[in-house]
Amino acid sequence: MKIGVFVCHCGTNIEGTVDTAAVAAASREFPGVVFATDTMYACSEPGQDGIIEAIKEHKLDGVVVASCTPRMHEPTFRRTLERAGLNRYLFEMANIREHVSWIGKDREANTNKSADLVRMAAAKLLKNRPLFSKQFPVNKSVMVVGGGVAGIQAALDCANGGLKVVLVEKDTTIGGKMAKLDKTFPTVDCSSCVLGPLMVDVAQHPNINLHAYSEIEEVNGYVGNFEIKVKKKASYVDWDACTGCGLCVEKCPSRKATDFFNEKLATTKAINIPFPQAIPKKAKIDPDFCMKIQKDKCGVCAKVCPSEAIDFTQKDEFITENVGAVVAATGFDLFDWTVYGQYGGGKYPDVITSLQYERMLSASGPSEGHIKRPSDGKEPKNVVFIQCVGSRDKSVGRPYCSGFCCMYTAKQTILTKDHIPDSQSHVFYMDIRSPGKLYDEFTRRAMEEYGANYIRGRVSMIYPKGDNLVVRGADTLMGAQVEIDADLVVLAVGAEASVGATDLAKKLRISYDAYGFFMEGHPKLKPVETNTAGVYLAGACQGPKDIPASVAQGSAAASKVLGLFSQDMLASDPQVSVVDIKRCIGCGKCIQTCPFGAIKEIDFRGMKKADVIETICQGCGICTSTCPQGAVQLQHFTDNQILAEVNAICRF
Amino acid sequence: MPILEGKELRIVGFLCNWCSYGGADTAGVGRFKQPTDLRVIKVPCSGRIDPLFIVKTLLAGADGVLVSGCHPRDCHYTEGNFYARRRLEMLKRFLPIMGIDAKRFEYTWVSASEGQRWQEVVTKFTEQIHELGAAPKIVGAEAEETLKLMEAAL
Amino acid sequence: MQNLEDLKEQVRKALPELDVVIGWTGGYDPLHATPHFIRRDEDIDKLQVNALCVHNLATYLPSMRGKKVGIIVKGCDSRSVVELLQEKLIDREDVTIFGFGCTGVVDQTKIRRIVGDVGNIDSCEVSGSEVKVSASGTEHKLAMSDVLSEKCATCRYPNAVLSDHFAGAEITSTATFEDGYKDVVEFEEKPEEEKFGFWLKEMDRCIRCYACRNACPMCVCRDHCVAQSRDPHWLSQEAHVRDKWMFQVIHAYHLAGRCTECGECQRACPVDIPILLFKKKMNKEIKEVFDYEAGINPDATPPLMTFKAEEDKITERKW
Repeated sequence: MKIGVFVCHCGTNIEGTVDTAAVAAASREFPGVVFATDTMYACSEPGQDGIIEAIKEHKLDGVVVASCTPRMHEPTFRRTLERAGLNRYLFEMANIREHVSWIGKDREANTNKSADLVRMAAAKLLKNRPLFSKQFPVNKSVMVVGGGVAGIQAALDCANGGLKVVLVEKDTTIGGKMAKLDKTFPTVDCSSCVLGPLMVDVAQHPNINLHAYSEIEEVNGYVGNFEIKVKKKASYVDWDACTGCGLCVEKCPSRKATDFFNEKLATTKAINIPFPQAIPKKAKIDPDFCMKIQKDKCGVCAKVCPSEAIDFTQKDEFITENVGAVVAATGFDLFDWTVYGQYGGGKYPDVITSLQYERMLSASGPSEGHIKRPSDGKEPKNVVFIQCVGSRDKSVGRPYCSGFCCMYTAKQTILTKDHIPDSQSHVFYMDIRSPGKLYDEFTRRAMEEYGANYIRGRVSMIYPKGDNLVVRGADTLMGAQVEIDADLVVLAVGAEASVGATDLAKKLRISYDAYGFFMEGHPKLKPVETNTAGVYLAGACQGPKDIPASVAQGSAAASKVLGLFSQDMLASDPQVSVVDIKRCIGCGKCIQTCPFGAIKEIDFRGMKKADVIETICQGCGICTSTCPQGAVQLQHFTDNQILAEVNAICRF
Repeated sequence: MPILEGKELRIVGFLCNWCSYGGADTAGVGRFKQPTDLRVIKVPCSGRIDPLFIVKTLLAGADGVLVSGCHPRDCHYTEGNFYARRRLEMLKRFLPIMGIDAKRFEYTWVSASEGQRWQEVVTKFTEQIHELGAAPKIVGAEAEETLKLMEAAL
Repeated sequence: MQNLEDLKEQVRKALPELDVVIGWTGGYDPLHATPHFIRRDEDIDKLQVNALCVHNLATYLPSMRGKKVGIIVKGCDSRSVVELLQEKLIDREDVTIFGFGCTGVVDQTKIRRIVGDVGNIDSCEVSGSEVKVSASGTEHKLAMSDVLSEKCATCRYPNAVLSDHFAGAEITSTATFEDGYKDVVEFEEKPEEEKFGFWLKEMDRCIRCYACRNACPMCVCRDHCVAQSRDPHWLSQEAHVRDKWMFQVIHAYHLAGRCTECGECQRACPVDIPILLFKKKMNKEIKEVFDYEAGINPDATPPLMTFKAEEDKITERKW
């Protein structure tokens, strides 16, 4: 191999602390190197032209550029090589900027280290082989996981863009958390009036196939060609037949079923439809409370159903969907606030969550929009709101800010005043976080127009006094302890990753943070991408978000999917593992450790061998370090390439 | 040439592409000053690092080897660093029987955003190796000779 | 051995269903046994089972895959069979395991060290407590405790851990895990330079014959061993101590969580390099960190082939 080395000055970025001419001179002595020079800006147009000329003049068939990090310009120089007619993988970079010139000023040591890095790069390059991408077709359909407002937006945008969309929702209806809200800030418009039409659009869109009451069971495949197994959970109702007339719900004698939609404020029927605007509007039986399923008695629903949709023997059903991309939009769940002993730990009925309060405020809620405290159904006059319950609190492992609680608490004080004009709201807060269009004005209005009493400080305890509760806390601005008699206490409970989010992350092979929120590809530049090609994020699954941000991210994710699908063929990354069939003994250790199921056992002339499915392999190389006989080698990072680097620097 | 005699020791780093190599870049962008001993070998994932690379490196005369990958659960390939953690932990425990001080090898996790942390890790590890001094070398008369032959054969 | 007749009877009954039964018989002289492949009834009479039957016959199994094979195993050998089953390198339905309670085998190196180069062995008698060797007219009486293999002195698995037939009574062992690793602990306590120097000297003797590898029941790569490959090129072809030593570490690492400590590698070494120490060290750490021993449970997964998101005993070091 004839190697050319180009040592970049990067203006003074490198040249300032590295003698690039000396590095080039030293490089000429390295095995394989036939040409070396320093260059002002290797990545500039004249710099790249210089590389191309040198390739032609010196008949180079390998290039080392010593400059910045390969994460920056490796793609640039690979294209340069291609323009000169060389394979893009006959190229190595020595990172002498981020790893040398920028981290120390000792010119002698830097120059020496730079030469060493070039020596390593050249040694590896000698073992490089041309690699070629394969083109593979894209399945232009997308799966959206989660039917909250972010997922709905993503699904609608994709569907309107002409893509087939599979929307998977774990509950029996889409709508997510937003469907439970009464009003939204800062406009105080009705949540279901905003969301309802979107939900109907989903139901009616010819491009959207909705699987409600379903979950992701298994994900196989890769960008462009995912194969996803979906579990359709048993609802005991044939949804093809069910018309959502609600007769079964009306006649069902079992009234004690847990009402999850109403945040357990009330109970519901064993067969139910969560709310009138549900999409799909289909009934589901809660088997724990159904007398027919539990005791083989009753069966009233089956008798009254005009379309004979009830099926007590229904089982979970598994279907497989083939899609080219996935948008995860699994949203959030509320922190389990009962860990706070100071708020009663759940033993006082009149301490409720903000989401329960929303259901109470909602005209379609269990109290039909009347605020009634759970203990005795009386209308409260003094309502205390406590913020940052499970947010910004290291002691419960939730150091982050949930972002939207300040705003919805302000909204709830306004709604409280609207519902009960002679009421008084008190808010214990840490800081008010209200960046956003019209947000700060909104919190001001809560205080100034609606007279909410904001107290800066934490609550140390809540204790019962007669029928009421006493909230004791600090007013840190006054420097005093305060005690407030409360008829009702509403906790602004923080958001955490939704139940099962981490399981889904593992199935999708995406990362998640310490709190279970999914990791974006880059905190600034790739906010809806993940590090797994073809998987995108929308909404609060990536971190707590309010409605406008969730909707924006839903649209952003959709635009990424549409962009991906604007190509008919995708190019595969050839840096994948390859099995040397001669060396493979078929022990299957690579199959066992591959995180992607990218290696399968094949029969080769009666012998067991491993075989890598090129398009599934992600190029991690776990197989290569697992295989005892080195039969499976990750291309571009083979044992010999890494050993060459080791040998180049450890010279006995 | 490889190291500056009397000034540097031979320290080799194996870094995963997605987190730690990025973390080292972040440290560079932040101009976080670091000792010059370390030479980095980039691999896609800490799961790619066969512990035998490290043994090979140490037997070939390195004074220290540092491995860094994504924090557990953050692996780009989901599971690579989990495998790496087990394998590298075994290596760390194994080295003493060879007569190699276990402190000559460390493995840790640095994310792409942790430039500051990378600076601390490199600085501390380099100091640790300098405290131990140069590792005993396996010298042989034929070593340099062989090397020349190997290079000529390429 | 009183169990021998039982064992022969069991083999005789099973043989018609099997292609071959692997056992031991007399070797090139009365002091040595050798592997014995029983295919016909008359082969059964030559079967020998005593303290000279050192070979771990499990080594043969992977190469006989597809045949119906019977195998006679000591406790330690049975662990290799279990490990091979676990790694699906052999098929349970094709292997018939004949176990017996083993009281230990001799270490030929120890015998050689005591009696010296004895020349022609005329006879050898082995009892539970004594080995009587007569060579070139001279009789040597050796106490079994002096010539017993190290691994047998601290054996915790004298009975086959998995068997289809078991001859005689089970042997009870009182040895603890710690007993078996005293040598490792003792060696480890030496200063680093001393250990490094020790291995340099020991490894220098290696002639790269790879007998250690060929005797190892778990070295299933054989012709594809990285030691003799240029792609990947882990070791050079020169006779340098660095490569010899590297190979032994490769062997230990490829056996991590798989080695059943049968000791065949060290027994096979013609220059007596104590290479089992590396494998024992690895096993000791595997046990400590993962509470795992190879070759006990055919359904287990070797710890380095799997992981836990939260490891029980690997704690983050402060960095």
